[in-house]
Amino acid sequence: MISRRLVEGIALFAAIGCALASAPALAQKTIKIGVLIPVSGPASYFGVQGKEGMDLALDQINRGSGVNGNHFEVKIEDSACSPLQATNTAKRMLEQFKPDVVIGEECSDASLAIAPIFEQAHVPMLNAGSATNQLTESGYKYVFRIFPNAKQQGIPLGRNAYTKLGARTAVLLYEKTNAGVDNADGFAKEFEAAGGKILARIDFGRDVNDFTPIATRIAALGKVDVLPTFGLEGQQVRLSQALAQAQVVKGGGGSGIQMGSIWLPWGYDAKAGQASVGYVRIVQFDPTEKRKVVTDFIAAFRARYGADKTPTHINAHAYDTIQLVAEAVRQGATDAESIRDRFSRIKDLELTTGKITFDASGQTVDPSVIHFVETQPDLSWKSLPW
Amino acid sequence: MSGALPPLTPPERAPSAAAASPVAASHALPSSEPAERVLRPPLRWPGYVAALLLIALLPFALKGAYWQGILVVCAMNVLLAMSLNLVIGDCGQLNLGQSAFFAIGAYVSTVLLKSHGWPFWWAVPAAILAAGALGLLLAAFAARLRGHYLGIASLGFAVIVYQVLVNWESVTQGVRGIYGIRPPPPMTLGPLGVIEFSNPAHLFYLVALIALLVYGVLDNLMRSPVGETLRSIREDEISAASLGVNPARWKAFSVGLGAAIAGLAGCFYPGFVGTLVPDAFSIVESFTMLAMVIVGGLGTRVGPVIGAVVLTFLPELLRDFGDWRLMVYGIALTLCVLFMPGGMVQAWQLVRARWARQGVH
Amino acid sequence: MPDILALVLQQTLNGVYLGCLYVLVALGLTLIYGVMNQINFAHADFVTIGAFTAFFSASRLATHVLGLPDATAYLLSIFFAMGAGALLGYLINAAVFAPLRDRGDELRPLIATIGVSVLLENGQLALFGPIPYSFDSPFTQHTLRLGKIFFSAQSLLVVVVAALAIGGLHAFMRHTYLGKALRAVSQDRETAGLMGINERYLIGLTIVIASALAGLAGALLGPVIVLTPFAGSSVIVKAFAIVIIGGFGNMEGTIIAGILVGIIEAFTVQYLGSGLIDLVVFVLLLAMLAVRPTGLIAERREENV
Repeated sequence: MISRRLVEGIALFAAIGCALASAPALAQKTIKIGVLIPVSGPASYFGVQGKEGMDLALDQINRGSGVNGNHFEVKIEDSACSPLQATNTAKRMLEQFKPDVVIGEECSDASLAIAPIFEQAHVPMLNAGSATNQLTESGYKYVFRIFPNAKQQGIPLGRNAYTKLGARTAVLLYEKTNAGVDNADGFAKEFEAAGGKILARIDFGRDVNDFTPIATRIAALGKVDVLPTFGLEGQQVRLSQALAQAQVVKGGGGSGIQMGSIWLPWGYDAKAGQASVGYVRIVQFDPTEKRKVVTDFIAAFRARYGADKTPTHINAHAYDTIQLVAEAVRQGATDAESIRDRFSRIKDLELTTGKITFDASGQTVDPSVIHFVETQPDLSWKSLPW
Repeated sequence: MSGALPPLTPPERAPSAAAASPVAASHALPSSEPAERVLRPPLRWPGYVAALLLIALLPFALKGAYWQGILVVCAMNVLLAMSLNLVIGDCGQLNLGQSAFFAIGAYVSTVLLKSHGWPFWWAVPAAILAAGALGLLLAAFAARLRGHYLGIASLGFAVIVYQVLVNWESVTQGVRGIYGIRPPPPMTLGPLGVIEFSNPAHLFYLVALIALLVYGVLDNLMRSPVGETLRSIREDEISAASLGVNPARWKAFSVGLGAAIAGLAGCFYPGFVGTLVPDAFSIVESFTMLAMVIVGGLGTRVGPVIGAVVLTFLPELLRDFGDWRLMVYGIALTLCVLFMPGGMVQAWQLVRARWARQGVH
Repeated sequence: MPDILALVLQQTLNGVYLGCLYVLVALGLTLIYGVMNQINFAHADFVTIGAFTAFFSASRLATHVLGLPDATAYLLSIFFAMGAGALLGYLINAAVFAPLRDRGDELRPLIATIGVSVLLENGQLALFGPIPYSFDSPFTQHTLRLGKIFFSAQSLLVVVVAALAIGGLHAFMRHTYLGKALRAVSQDRETAGLMGINERYLIGLTIVIASALAGLAGALLGPVIVLTPFAGSSVIVKAFAIVIIGGFGNMEGTIIAGILVGIIEAFTVQYLGSGLIDLVVFVLLLAMLAVRPTGLIAERREENV
């Protein structure tokens, strides 16, 4: 009785499920790119910008005759920045779309969760947004990353704080996530090894809105030379403003220098206002660069999304991932195995975010993807020759 | 005792029932009264046989790692929805923090497995006990609370558990998470050969059979005097106490048992996903479980099962809506509560009753 | 002034200000609960929509259309936000609370409002996108300093408006016919109905007022929080804790509890670490409930036996 109703209910869903599962599109002579990014929830901050960058690159490639006659087909799935959702959508992607290459995820937790799935399926996974060291240190053969990992960002940050800025004391400010903790640890290790002192480690959840109590606490610590800060744009705007209000940082008349890695997009300084003056940080994509690949990208981006828009590093990374796949195809790749093979041999490929050279672990190692800028009183960037 | 049909209050009768019983109106959560009991011989084994057959066949209907993975998630959600229904539906205690016990099950089993080298099948009872004990702790704590106070207290309890998982880094790895968690070890089952739980179909069989077992235990329990006692507390705690029932003890029993079942479900989560991070157990998960119970049919046996199936598959089926997916989900949830206040089980009964009447004419 | 004293005073001020933000969000929740024993989970999204309304009306409408100075435009936008909140309140009452009201059930409206919340959150995401808006009121950048003590003009505004809202609400409840009728309904719905009070109308009015308060909270929070479609949900769980600590439906309790939680939060950041805020607040919540099961100020509702 009860179970009959159960049977009927489930059978209906089973039927719908079968119908959906057995209807993948048949496409030929196309390179299939599966994209796993968060497009719902707070993490859609990454996904929405990532989609903009990829759409632009795809337009450029598919408008012409494609690459070596191959057109690109992209399927975006919402992996929601969550390990469960990401593993589910990864399996869905593999079965229904059968991608030749996968781009994703943005969040470290989700990237780490899907890496073994694509490794097992022998589909190359290209990551452009997760900083956690573990991703390329787990011995995966099919995982590639064009984003500097936490070490690559933390070490120069810590070293330059000590040598170039002459800092001896630091307060670490970081969001309590995988990437935040990794970045903070990376800085602390290098800075302490050089002889610096960490006065306090202050972590915060992504739901913290008011940073005045944190700024007050730092102001009471006495003189702090640098404040390495690892958090998302929205929170960092409020954090910088609170630090300026408490007269901790240069932007508020204090002496401390905020430092950061590539969490913050172009446009951050305008949002934070005077509070961001003197902020020293690593950027991977600098829209003021005069390299042709950068100026072309910006022109195309503005043509498509509006003259008043400037691409962020998230836009640029996403754009670069498609360009990287295009390069692999240009070199003769046609399927998952050959794309992996071409990826592993990529050397000095110039993209909007710098030059890409993968090491044996799939991590890009060219230091050109990292350079330092300082926010000027007119809120523009000054490149630092470090 | 009640037959296969759960107690039913047709919507048109509800206002008068609420007006006649102000206590039920202001305090008791569900308003279903055992008014119309259908007398029917307790012939239940065909249902179980059908359910067994269905479980056996589902992985053949839904092929591939993705859909079979969704089946595993579905079976876990069925366990969770049943565990919450025991607390809210049968005993009338608002619990907005069930995800905490799910988390305890997942973390205790994984930590024992990964850090202490326990075999999986030893870690499971330990995790169940840990979740159950924590449930008893919450119940002891919340003995004097009722209604929304209890709801928010349990929500707060879940926040605390979540924060402990985040901050107790030496044990849980905090936000860094635990990776590379393996599915339960393979089992050799005589003629069936070796069951590999890395195969989602096999893992589904395991979790679904456990869910069916739990269903059977709960079904029998709720038909026994224990069920009668829990329902009497749900309907009117003060009257129940005056009849010699100790409400605190029985509330603790239902919260503790519910927690243990949620903990059991939690044991299968890490091995399935391979990754364990505290974010998987945010309070939103508790609300999803609650929605499963309400959408299916609060206080009924089969309702939460159906609710869990629907709300597990719905978001996946809506994937083709792209950006509209969660908006459609929100609308569906709201409409479901507005137009099927008794859940899908009751709505189905009403439809059947109408068909039956039309058949007579 | 000795440093430690200045620090304690500064953190207390930070806490009071934070507390006032929480009180503004929690007041609407407690108002609705007081009159009809319901929790509106979509309240958080009303706050967010209030913030977006204020942002767009301040930055677009007022400055471009009327050419008002920034400060006036922002202050004016607060009323737009309240209007948006009131409208949402009217809608959610008509769509969810009114149809479900007579069932005498606390759980289904709760779930229905969770559905509404999912809808509103994702609707805003589709409309406004996930990238944080830079909503700076002319008061946020203006810092006032008294010796070592500092606070922004915006925080002063928050405290003043919170006090005005509380005072206005109090006067309304005590001294107007409608307010008295509302209190009668919250104390005993049936008797109030027998006395000729239109209960339906009054409950609807309460939800509208409470939601307008959510809009007001949004307009004041907008320039100080991270303005995304998810802004409200970051404060709502704490608002629930505050409503409970204060005693559901008890306005004085909510105000005291809100400011208390704000101060506790500031000192947790100072002495324990900001990652522990939620842990401390909710352990205190449970501890308080263990001692006083109906909140800081006991609920006056009588038990029907």
